Amino acid sequence: MDKKVEAQPILSMNSVEVLYDNVMLAIKGVSIQVPKGEMIALLGSNGAGKSTTLKAISGLLKAERGRVSRGEIKFEGTDITEMLAQKRVEMGICHVIEGRRVFEHLTPDENLTAAAPMGMSRSELDGEKEKIYNYFPRLAERSNSLSGYLSGGEQQMLAIGRALVTQPSLLMLDEPSLGLAPFLVAEIFGILQKINQEEGMSVLLVEQNALAALEIVSEGYLIENGRVVMNGTAAALKSNSDIQEFYLGGGEGTDFHNVKHYSRRKRWLS
Amino acid sequence: MDWVFLAELAINGALTGLLYSLFAIGLVLIYKASSVPNLAQGGLTMVGAYVVLALSHDAGLPLWLAIPLAAVIMFGLGFGIERVALRRLAGRPVIMILMLTLGLDIFLRGTTLAIWGGTSRSMELGVSYEPLFLGDLFISRIHLVGAGVAIALFVGFMVFFRSRTGIKLRAIADDYMASWSVGISVERGVGLSWALASVVAVAAGVIWGEIQGVDQALSLLLLKGLTVAVLGGLDSILGAVIAGIILGILENVGADFLDPLVGGGSRELIVAAVLILTVMIRPHGLFGRHEIERV
Repeated sequence: MDKKVEAQPILSMNSVEVLYDNVMLAIKGVSIQVPKGEMIALLGSNGAGKSTTLKAISGLLKAERGRVSRGEIKFEGTDITEMLAQKRVEMGICHVIEGRRVFEHLTPDENLTAAAPMGMSRSELDGEKEKIYNYFPRLAERSNSLSGYLSGGEQQMLAIGRALVTQPSLLMLDEPSLGLAPFLVAEIFGILQKINQEEGMSVLLVEQNALAALEIVSEGYLIENGRVVMNGTAAALKSNSDIQEFYLGGGEGTDFHNVKHYSRRKRWLS
Repeated sequence: MDWVFLAELAINGALTGLLYSLFAIGLVLIYKASSVPNLAQGGLTMVGAYVVLALSHDAGLPLWLAIPLAAVIMFGLGFGIERVALRRLAGRPVIMILMLTLGLDIFLRGTTLAIWGGTSRSMELGVSYEPLFLGDLFISRIHLVGAGVAIALFVGFMVFFRSRTGIKLRAIADDYMASWSVGISVERGVGLSWALASVVAVAAGVIWGEIQGVDQALSLLLLKGLTVAVLGGLDSILGAVIAGIILGILENVGADFLDPLVGGGSRELIVAAVLILTVMIRPHGLFGRHEIERV
């Protein structure tokens, strides 16, 4: 096999700019690479542009009157910058949107059915469902109650399971840990890691909870004010003093001088 | 009190009510997918009736061929409405879409007036007007046929909404964004719901056209259909059927009691009272979907 093809990332995003309503610049030249089979984290605080980055990749921007105004997004070598969201799902990109948006008035089982690709046969779908119930045994127990009444953790599991039915090669998750108890976050992240290892699925994980995310990913990007300000391996990021102080809640006490110093440096970087 | 007469009123009321249901099912289909009461459902019903007439009386086709053919044409028209008009409004406030359906209704009424004029034409289905005797009870045959069609459609849609396509439509009704995120074509789903509602409109148009003649007044059935749909809960097909029966009985029996007191016209009052009271006392209707709140 050609070495070069193997080394090609499954997703590469080059200096992408996103405009909402033709005026609001949400991300300003973001470049991200997801190598095949890896788990990558996109870290940053509220409003930094993490969700917008995911929506640019999945094509859901259009539903919110946003568009990519500069740069390009390539998935497995194909330019997908202008492609319909539906088409991207068919190609293998699936986006678990923020806020556990399960179909509340459908049962978990129907949620999985709803996501089945048009051409998927019944037996194939049953196989997929079985696999998903194996990853998330809690869902199997409640497969016939209304999804709106599931617990937060179960809904997040269902949202991930629903995305898996589309058989993605790149799974993107937007803040799966939001509002969940730490033990649930650990459980869900553990399952994500298992899926990544067993299926070879590439994962792009958006998180505010850097501490949990950096435990399972190999590499991370830090986004602030719509720009990538830092990029490195998980180990490097974990040991970085700025990240420790501002995103991991560790480090020595914050004195004001350091904060000022940090923000000045950030401006330089961006 | 004459119990036979009362039973007769109730049964014929229930049958008429099922004909309202026939109309309301179309409203429910569109409401489920777009959260908008389709004010053009009356217009669609009227156009459905006119298309059948054009194919049978004008083009000379037999009815058994003209009706399915009209259903196919209207199916296409439903899809077309989504493609041409609604798609541009995706993501806009619901009031805009509501106004669009109102405009569409006026447009359809104007179009039929321009093409076929305003004189009432008869459908000539060939259903006998001899009343049917059920023991001592008089029953109208055409109403019985229409009620049968309504129930058949109801059963058909109950099955449909358990199929994979039906489940996808329900998913769209729940959450557009989440639907897009897993590759469901929301646009095609909304188009399909309009197409199906337009086919239902053919059924309603044929039956109501037979009963009251085909003219622009057919579109005014919207008011009763809407009342039934609201009472049933707007997004429940079962609700539409049961609410239809309830409204039909209330109207027929109630009018018999009230008309002598107020000197006629109490039917409209009963319909209005049902609509207003439903919205005031039970806004979700009998079977409407509640917003799920977890405690």
